Amino acid sequence: MYKPFLTIIFIIFSVFVYLWQQNTSMRFAYKVSNLQTEYNKINAENDLLRLKINSILALEKMYKVAKEKNLNRPDEKTIVYID
Amino acid sequence: MRKKKIKKINRKTALIFVIMSVFFLLFAKLVYVQIILHGKINRTVDKMINRENVETPKRGDILDFNRKILATSIKKYTVFLDPKVIKDFNRVKTVLANNGIKIKEKQLSDFGNTSYVPIAFNINMDIVDKIKKEQLKGIGFVTKYVRQYPEGRLLAHILGITDSDGNGLEGIEKICNESLSGNTIMTKIRRDGCGRIIQDKLVNQSKTRGQNVELSIDRTIQFITEEELRKVFEKYKAKKAVCIVQDPKDGKILAMVSLPDFDCSDKIKDISILRNAAISDVYEPGSTFKIVTVAAALETKKVKLSDTFYLENGKFKIADHTIRDDHKIQGSASLSKSMEMSSNIGMVKIAQKLGSENFYEYIRKFGFYSLAGIDLPGEERGLLMDVKRWNALTLPTVSFGQGIGVTALQIINAYSAIANDGILTKPCVIKKIEKLNADGETEMDGNILESREIRRVVSTETAHAIKKILKNTVELGTGKSAKINGYTVGGKTGTAQKVDPATKTYSTKHYTASFCGMVPAMNPAFVILVVVDEPKGSSYYAASVASPVFANIARRTAEYLGIEKDDVTQTIFKHK
Repeated sequence: MYKPFLTIIFIIFSVFVYLWQQNTSMRFAYKVSNLQTEYNKINAENDLLRLKINSILALEKMYKVAKEKNLNRPDEKTIVYID
Repeated sequence: MRKKKIKKINRKTALIFVIMSVFFLLFAKLVYVQIILHGKINRTVDKMINRENVETPKRGDILDFNRKILATSIKKYTVFLDPKVIKDFNRVKTVLANNGIKIKEKQLSDFGNTSYVPIAFNINMDIVDKIKKEQLKGIGFVTKYVRQYPEGRLLAHILGITDSDGNGLEGIEKICNESLSGNTIMTKIRRDGCGRIIQDKLVNQSKTRGQNVELSIDRTIQFITEEELRKVFEKYKAKKAVCIVQDPKDGKILAMVSLPDFDCSDKIKDISILRNAAISDVYEPGSTFKIVTVAAALETKKVKLSDTFYLENGKFKIADHTIRDDHKIQGSASLSKSMEMSSNIGMVKIAQKLGSENFYEYIRKFGFYSLAGIDLPGEERGLLMDVKRWNALTLPTVSFGQGIGVTALQIINAYSAIANDGILTKPCVIKKIEKLNADGETEMDGNILESREIRRVVSTETAHAIKKILKNTVELGTGKSAKINGYTVGGKTGTAQKVDPATKTYSTKHYTASFCGMVPAMNPAFVILVVVDEPKGSSYYAASVASPVFANIARRTAEYLGIEKDDVTQTIFKHK
């Protein structure tokens, strides 16, 4: 009497496990894809920021800023070397 | 009662029959869809969800000696419209306009029957993010790496340029294109009904990206050189100007400037500006070439340092031509004095003692009329007539640097050979090329700068004697304007007449002013060559055009490199 019932229960459970596994793997796939996109985005942002830093520190720009602020090379006689 | 039972059974049977029929129909449909239509549906779904994606790798960076970025690639976006999908065109226009993107077309129909209308290029990621947040339908983005040069014009001729697809066309970008490009790979992505993407496999971008290239160039020395050379280039309205700074010990180039230059990020209208004059342009070196004559004569022992030469009171007739000295010396002068005062007649007499065959052999030994082998495209080998075809005037004129075509790189390399105690080295601008190991981590290929020695050209004693002569030339002779405070300098000026293409004779208006020297004079840390082509104005002499530039570059470079001051007497004297 219980045998067919248990068989049905077992089949339903197996199907459920299979579907759950499929669903979970899909969720993980989405998550991993999103993380990969996020990682690529952060990498790209990092590259952009590195470029910005280098552009700001470009010698030509620094030279212009120094000129605007009337910064001059110190005269050698005025430099005091401390041992 | 029995009738009722039959009725009940019939109803039950009918119900089961109906249910079974429904299931059968469903099963039949399932069989039809899964088995008969299986292939067709699979192909359609495949087309809808599976996409092949070409992963364009990030091009490697070009770094200077201190690993400062000189060229890098940044991800930028092309914004495009799909007019077939757009529903609210006015909103699309407003959102794009708010982000600085203007659309010319007034109506959606103006775009025609297409699904791809690019409307903006090289858009930054932050703007794309803002547009994406608006969740507009019919706007798409295509990513692309764009080459950026944070230092602007600095090093333009060395770095070179790339085309719109990122392939190197000139300079390091061209020479190292294979290493810089990286590996393009195909990946599969799946797109679900909501447009969400699932990647088939994860791509480690650090494994596919191009290798970084580290140069021997120091951007600070390059900047100093460019700044000082640009001043003289503009002051004298010169046609061209070149300056190279080289480390004589291993031949590495610390700075290389060719003017006029360009900005690597700009569109190049005149391709002739891409020509790197320092390695591609041939010129007559004039008096800077005299060290070759003297070195060859001393090395072959055809002359001694103590020998004196009668300098013909400044005029010397050879094969119906008169050779003149700009700085007349009465009577005779020693070999050193002839160099100090840059006597052409003295050089002719030394060359005559040396002989054509010997002289030709040493010219070739010093690397002239051969490719120096620098790792940059477009190097020239120069011009030199075969010794068998030399006429009565060739030996005398070549002895003081006329009648021979050289590149700036060959001249500085010859001076570096003297500075390096007689050993000629192969010049280079690439220090290292980064390698990726199995884990995608970077490691450097460190053997590029090693074993760059080509040959010994002259003995250490001869090289030492030449260095002393060059030192005297700056202290007592024509190179006085190249002196710098606190350091001993050795060098030689050169003012060469240029051939007038119209008359095919030497012009009295067009000159090439140059100075090549080393600091400190007897144990050089670096060698600098300055060449100014066709300086305008009355003072075209190297002593007033090229030597001061040398002095400024040498002083600033020596201070930057922290080279110990070796001219103590001069420093003390100046401080008093």
